[in-house]
Amino acid sequence: MKKITCIAAFVLIAAFVTATSAYAQISGKQVIEKVYENPTGEDTQGELTMTLTNKQGEQRIRNLTQYIKNYGDVEKKIMFFMAPADVRGTAFMNWSYTDGRDDDQWIYLPALKRIKRISSDGKGDYFMGSDFTYDDLGDRHPDEDTHELLREETIDGYSCYVVGSTPKDEDYMYSKTITWVIKDSFIGLKREFYDDRGKLLKVLNIIKFNQIEGFWTILETKMSNVQKDHSTHMELSNIQINLGIPDRKFTERSMMLGE
Amino acid sequence: MKTRILIIISLITLFMVDSFAQTGGNSLNINGYARNYTGVLLNEGNSLSILQNTLNLDFTHRGDKIAFKVNPYMDHYFDHTLEWGLREAYLDMYFDNFDLRVGKQQIIWGKAEGVFITDVVSPKDLSEFLLRDFDEIRMGVTSFKLNYYFGSSTLEAVWVPVFTPTLMPGEGSIWRPDMNFPAPPTFDFSTSTVKPTLDNSELFLRYSTMTPKFDLELVGGTFYYDDPALHLTKTIDSSTMQLAGLQVRPEYHRVNMAGGSVGLPLGPLVLRAEGAFYSGRYFQTQNPAYAESVLKKDNLHYMAGLDFNLAGIIMSAQFIQEYIIDHEAGMQKEKFENTMTFLARKDFFREKMWLELFSYVGLTNEDALIRPKITYAFADGFEVLKAPISFGRFGQFWPVQR
Repeated sequence: MKKITCIAAFVLIAAFVTATSAYAQISGKQVIEKVYENPTGEDTQGELTMTLTNKQGEQRIRNLTQYIKNYGDVEKKIMFFMAPADVRGTAFMNWSYTDGRDDDQWIYLPALKRIKRISSDGKGDYFMGSDFTYDDLGDRHPDEDTHELLREETIDGYSCYVVGSTPKDEDYMYSKTITWVIKDSFIGLKREFYDDRGKLLKVLNIIKFNQIEGFWTILETKMSNVQKDHSTHMELSNIQINLGIPDRKFTERSMMLGE
Repeated sequence: MKTRILIIISLITLFMVDSFAQTGGNSLNINGYARNYTGVLLNEGNSLSILQNTLNLDFTHRGDKIAFKVNPYMDHYFDHTLEWGLREAYLDMYFDNFDLRVGKQQIIWGKAEGVFITDVVSPKDLSEFLLRDFDEIRMGVTSFKLNYYFGSSTLEAVWVPVFTPTLMPGEGSIWRPDMNFPAPPTFDFSTSTVKPTLDNSELFLRYSTMTPKFDLELVGGTFYYDDPALHLTKTIDSSTMQLAGLQVRPEYHRVNMAGGSVGLPLGPLVLRAEGAFYSGRYFQTQNPAYAESVLKKDNLHYMAGLDFNLAGIIMSAQFIQEYIIDHEAGMQKEKFENTMTFLARKDFFREKMWLELFSYVGLTNEDALIRPKITYAFADGFEVLKAPISFGRFGQFWPVQR
């Protein structure tokens, strides 16, 4: 009996030491920074299909083509809306800066035939009626939140760090997020979003990811709004990395021509 | 004859579809819509003001070096004949640093919304006043447009060989402006068209750039003003010294314009501003010292607007002022004419329903147009909208609600 007690004590101490050493190795902030700094290639292009499903099971599908290029201090992204027909020809361009200043955003509406600069204050708006806000689709800088490593957990067979993040801006649309990050690849596998009352609002699950040209790339995700019983399935296809997207892709000409 | 032409167009279209289907699979894209507009005048015995059925099609083909677009439309009305035409029909040629677009095209400039300051290339279709959608209110013009690109800037030159005036509401339309002449007029249309010659062609230039700090457009043009000056010749009865007759001669005059517009982010706001200087515009006057009741003046037209997002509502406000330099007593237009516009828009149910409120307030003449609109998308590509429109002391349109 004494032997068993000693073994249990040893196991507990070993577990504590292991856990302490693991926690000493990496902090919540470091985990999120590693996710943020995961190499993505200098440029990426691909087709995006979003399937929106409401609580009655009705589905709406949106297709678009997107191009992303990283210039170091600025990441430029342009999206061309392909379907449904009433949004075809619409182009949306976003320039996101690493120094934390507000994004620059423009939209081209084919009916108006001109490019309009839009306020980046609408980051909390839902993108094309999906469950993703504009901010959900961007790379949120780690310095915008405080992070805490909550625990380690295995989900879907992946050993993960679980990190809680609280925004420094009290007016931010989420009161906190909890992210499951795969230990060996630093890919965010799951994220929970909590509303301003602290209640669970949305859950993002990464369904499929793969290495393309040596870069970890997310291919399929699902965002579920648990309060509205609405979900968006997003699938990326025909992804090409480091093809050398020309700078002229992110200009007035490209937006107006729709390619 | 019209039927025959329609059949010919249909055959050509079928040929094109077949041709591209054979050569390029999905090379030809076809988009379009069918639409019904029904309007009721609530203050005039609920009479139908409009019952319009529209078919609008876009045929586009895009290649590496060339592209084209043909946009035929047909408007069917219950009370008059079928109207049809080509809203746009042009050919694009792409080169490394420049593009050339030739044909009938809508060209839209500036940053103002709902008002036309530097947006002077495409004339306006006001046959339904301001109620048409923006892509329909601007008419296509047959022109040659060259765009040269360098960095994030564009230099655009447009040559319009044939002048197209504003399309005004037809006889009997509730939108046709009242002509309050002091005597029953007779019209002389001998100068109401601009002869299509090289000398009478129009030229426009635009420089635009997009930067992180601001977007800028600088524009200029020499062109015919889209609205005619009404040259009046009065006949006085020598025995009574009273006005015995009035001859009205509409004439279009060439003007020169220079201006620009800017859009810049100010934190959560976007500031838009636009202004233009017009040289040589003709204005109506009641001053008898001026023969034909018109005089030539320069004027300024400018606006400032703010776009912002408030609790998920997209909002926009604009202040517009038109100023006649060296204004004189007796002119029909005031020295300053001030207008404001407001727009608020919000979506519900994940962009299935949109609520919109647009208002246009004339501060000088104390008139207003208020247009709330609700749009519901039953399914992708199928929308129903209701837009009761109210006019407040809007000249002759004051009692009109629909």
